[in-house]
Amino acid sequence: MIEKSWLIPLLPFLGFLINGLGRSRISKKTAAVIGSASVLCSFILSVLVFFELQGSAETGVTVKLFEWIRAGSLQIPFSFYVDPLTCVWLLVITGIGFLIHVYSAGYMHADQGFGKFFSYLNLFVFFMLILVMGAGYAIMFIGWEGVGLCSYLLIGFWYKNDAYNDAAKKAFIMNRIGDLGFLLGIFLLIATFGSTDFTEIFPQAAGFQSGDGRLLAITLCLFIGAVGKSAQLPLYTWLPDAMAGPTPVSALIHAATMVTAGVYMVARSNILYALSPVAMTVVAITGLATAIFAALIALTQNDIKKVLAYSTVSQLGYMFLALGVGAFTGAVFHVMTHAFFKALLFLGAGSVIHALHDQQDMRRMGGLKKAMPVTFLTMLLATLAISGIPPFSGFFSKDEILAHAFSRDPLLWVLGFAGALLTAFYMFRMLFLTFWGDFRGTAKEKQGIHESPASMTVPLILLAVLSVVGGFLGIPEVFARQAHLLGGFLAPVFAASQEVLPAMHVPHSTEWILMGISVLGVLVSIGMAWSLYVKKKRVPAEDTVQRSGLVAWSYHKFYVDELYQALIVRPLDALSGFFYRVMDKRFIDGIVNGVGSTILAFSSTLRLLQTGRIGSYLFYMVAGIILIFLLNYLIF
Amino acid sequence: MTSLIIVSVLAVAVLYLGLFKYKTALLPVSVTGLLAAAAMAAMDWDLEKMYFSEMMLFDNYAVAFSILLILTTLLIFGLSRNYFEKISNNVAEYYALMLFALAGGVVMVSFHNLAMLFIGIEILSISLYVLAGIRRKDPASNEASLKYFLMGAFATGFLLFGTALIYGATGSFNLAAIASSGAFESALFRAGVLLMMVGLSFKVSVAPFHTWTPDVYEGSPGLIAMFMATVVKTAGFAAFLRLFLMAFAEASAFWAITVAILCILTLFAGNITAVFQDRFKRLLAWSSVSHAGYLLLAILAVGFSASSAVLVYTIAYSLASVAAFGIMILVSRARGNDHLDSFNGLARTNPFLAFTLTLAVCSLAGIPLTAGFFGKFYVFKVALAQGYTWLVVLAVINAMIGIYYYFKVIIAMYMKENANAVAIQLNPGFRLVLSIVVFLIFLFGIFPGLIANIL
Amino acid sequence: MLLQSSASSYLPILIQGIMALAFVGITMVITHLVGPKRRTIDKLTPFESGISSVGNARSPFSIKYFLVAILFVLFDVEVIFMYPWAVNFRELGGKGMIEMFVFMGMLLLGFFYVIRKGALDWEK
Repeated sequence: MIEKSWLIPLLPFLGFLINGLGRSRISKKTAAVIGSASVLCSFILSVLVFFELQGSAETGVTVKLFEWIRAGSLQIPFSFYVDPLTCVWLLVITGIGFLIHVYSAGYMHADQGFGKFFSYLNLFVFFMLILVMGAGYAIMFIGWEGVGLCSYLLIGFWYKNDAYNDAAKKAFIMNRIGDLGFLLGIFLLIATFGSTDFTEIFPQAAGFQSGDGRLLAITLCLFIGAVGKSAQLPLYTWLPDAMAGPTPVSALIHAATMVTAGVYMVARSNILYALSPVAMTVVAITGLATAIFAALIALTQNDIKKVLAYSTVSQLGYMFLALGVGAFTGAVFHVMTHAFFKALLFLGAGSVIHALHDQQDMRRMGGLKKAMPVTFLTMLLATLAISGIPPFSGFFSKDEILAHAFSRDPLLWVLGFAGALLTAFYMFRMLFLTFWGDFRGTAKEKQGIHESPASMTVPLILLAVLSVVGGFLGIPEVFARQAHLLGGFLAPVFAASQEVLPAMHVPHSTEWILMGISVLGVLVSIGMAWSLYVKKKRVPAEDTVQRSGLVAWSYHKFYVDELYQALIVRPLDALSGFFYRVMDKRFIDGIVNGVGSTILAFSSTLRLLQTGRIGSYLFYMVAGIILIFLLNYLIF
Repeated sequence: MTSLIIVSVLAVAVLYLGLFKYKTALLPVSVTGLLAAAAMAAMDWDLEKMYFSEMMLFDNYAVAFSILLILTTLLIFGLSRNYFEKISNNVAEYYALMLFALAGGVVMVSFHNLAMLFIGIEILSISLYVLAGIRRKDPASNEASLKYFLMGAFATGFLLFGTALIYGATGSFNLAAIASSGAFESALFRAGVLLMMVGLSFKVSVAPFHTWTPDVYEGSPGLIAMFMATVVKTAGFAAFLRLFLMAFAEASAFWAITVAILCILTLFAGNITAVFQDRFKRLLAWSSVSHAGYLLLAILAVGFSASSAVLVYTIAYSLASVAAFGIMILVSRARGNDHLDSFNGLARTNPFLAFTLTLAVCSLAGIPLTAGFFGKFYVFKVALAQGYTWLVVLAVINAMIGIYYYFKVIIAMYMKENANAVAIQLNPGFRLVLSIVVFLIFLFGIFPGLIANIL
Repeated sequence: MLLQSSASSYLPILIQGIMALAFVGITMVITHLVGPKRRTIDKLTPFESGISSVGNARSPFSIKYFLVAILFVLFDVEVIFMYPWAVNFRELGGKGMIEMFVFMGMLLLGFFYVIRKGALDWEK
């Protein structure tokens, strides 16, 4: 089956072609069936691949499709590499992807661009699969750019709204900055190792000294790429704006899959990072800073999707923290559980937005508990999971990350713990504001409130089940020996880097205490949210109200957008204005136009030779022949 | 060899189908036969067989170019439903003559003997003289035919004279025997090489022997011009390269400078004159002259990478030309002429056609992500490997001039408005062929490895 | 084995050519001398169906004539191939026989095409 794994990305691609080319002819129902079925088939194939890989002794299988680029000694074959790490992503992408396709069939049913939407979604799944299946950084880059393109297309899906188009452009440009880093990283890899293939690079890299300068440069460049794609400081601002896209897109691309591509890339390059401690520290600090920074912003946001967006940025920060402290398994584990509960949260939020006819402001919600029981219950479970309440999935993955952080440096744990408290607070704030209390919207909206159709609730329920039980794949050592199934499965991928990195050493008693503190702290944090938003029925102030102090900073997202505007955008505008007016208009255009008019003058003369008379044509021919002979016999 | 037999028999069969008035069967029979011919050619891969006492050699070079010629003809046939019916009663003769020309082309890419080269060229040319003038009532078509015939006969004389001199110097027509004769220093041989070069240069429209090209392209029916630009040019260059590769490679120091000069002349003559053209067909004719210049670069770098470069280039060029000429036919039929103004507003009425034409001219101009980019890339690469840096620099400058006139049509389609333009109806054949071409231009533009390494 | 060809080996052909020319010349001269002559004005004027000739002889003639002439040359030239084949018939053997039949078949196909197309119908 692994040899046939190229079918996995091919199927969504076919779905894209069919839906894309025939979108005017295919009915909505057929489009939905084609879109979902192609991803479902990929999921089934991924499951087969998973079982075969588990049963085989090999750590990874390379499937070579064809020679892609050959330039000098550099050969880049177009091939796929399937190993446990790829496999985890395959299952997440196709599994959650399928659920979100089904959900979209309900969510988008009234939209005109239904077929277009499904074709984009399928194209996204295709590129995402290429990204995680590529056997080298070059193939990964194809997928990397492809998902960026799909993200752009889908953020700006409702292209008639200019603000949405701006958001799409912002996402694309921010990602380009990261891509430049990634590309430089690839060039450095080629220069250092003479290849872009994982199977060529990693064994070579294992022979390098720890702290090698070349590896440091490579890892930092690659990390810039990851920062862009995974919305870390300082390139995170596109992700909250990306919420302009339809909610299923936010769930699939901007929560579950694409934004975790950076995590995948770092985890894939684990040996390179393990050998450059400086880069590891950079990753850890960036991740932690992002986690707390985004959590602080999320505290005061009032748009339900914005809260979730900042929460995603924050959770991605945790994943990078995990990578930075060497907890590669923990990072992948958190990617997985986060995919479950964050997709669920987005889809739940989508369900609410759908019921309220595109109302996204939490100040206009409230008391939806009764009217939307399925949405409420599933979102409650997801919120518990993200807050880290045992035994929900988020608890296990977050605990694993924090334990590793503690073993590296207790200060990291303290900050990570603080972030977890903030997470619990803003998530429950969102939940309470939405589902508790009285409805605060208009009477007309109130009448329209309804539970969503089955095509939307069934994915919610399935994801809720996953959010609850997903954590049991990675039960830590303190509960039971050898119970970390995911860790066991992924062990071969990270084997080389685990030899290099210091092993985690936290006594079991300490780990119990840490766990106890974090659970207690989270419960207290939830209690505070409860007393504020349920008991005192506090509702966030309107936008027009002047805020002060830290609240203002948080509410205005620490003025980062304004900062970028002032520091980067405006100087660049001025510079480009200068270049346009002086360099381009006067200088370059002068040269270009000069050359152009010279050629035109030549052309108008040369064209007159074409008289149309055979006699003159033959004359040219004979003259040419005579010249050739003169040239050959007299001159040379 | 089997494919050549199939093509020849097919031509006679088509002629007879027309004779007995089975007009509807013409196209299906031709298409099936061509597919069979392509399949049979593919079966000869890696066999390297000689035929007729070493007159013909079906090596991989011959097979690859034969398949290219056959498939290009197939694409052209795909566009020809209802085309010839409109301009002539003798539809079967069209197909038969094109198939005869194709047979000549196949001989030209597989000859191993100068006599076969001559026969191939004549089979191809004589069919074309007739095809160019097949619109009997149209003076322009007659003029094209007569011009082509007179000048072609003139050029053939040089080719034959060159062949005779080479026979005189080496005592053989056989390419291998010529290559191993060691007569490269003799004046007879050198004059022979130069004269053959002149004859072949005429066939592939290299300046200053290119003057027939624009007039003949303009006068001929669109599909025939397309056939000349694709199949004939491919066959001509394949023959040119094959001759110089297999027979004259050892003497390259002597003829290289002449080829280089012809190359510069052709590039500048083609590109600079094209700048001023305002009719699309004439523009394409001049662009076809300039492409001969780029291809000459590869001839300079005799060697097997040169074959590969010429193959990639001709594939890219043929694909793009099929699309460009095809859309030119549609537009000039719907709007009366092929003036660049006729393309105004095409993007609004026919987005698919506008997109395809954009892609085609981008490929002709050598913009990345299209097959044409890699065509130029490989040709430049082999020329650079031979140390012709200055020539490549000139060629790149010409490529930039090329972008200017190619983009004129894009600008017309996308930026100029035409208030009373109506959408052009496409028949299924056109739609299919253009879709295939778009797909292949992208495919080879993204995965050049698929075609770059087969030779 | 290749025969050495030199100027002297073309001598028989030359002699044959001279003989042929001489035969034509001699017969023409002899008939001219031997035949009876009666020179009158009527006899010396060009005979044009009993009507005195008008205008220039270099006038355009029917394309049909041109076509027939071209076709004649075409088939005439093809038949020349029969001579070397006939000379080497024994050496070429069965394969040569088949090849010649293929060649003749093609020629016949062309001939049939020409007839069927009505290229030889003078009246049409």
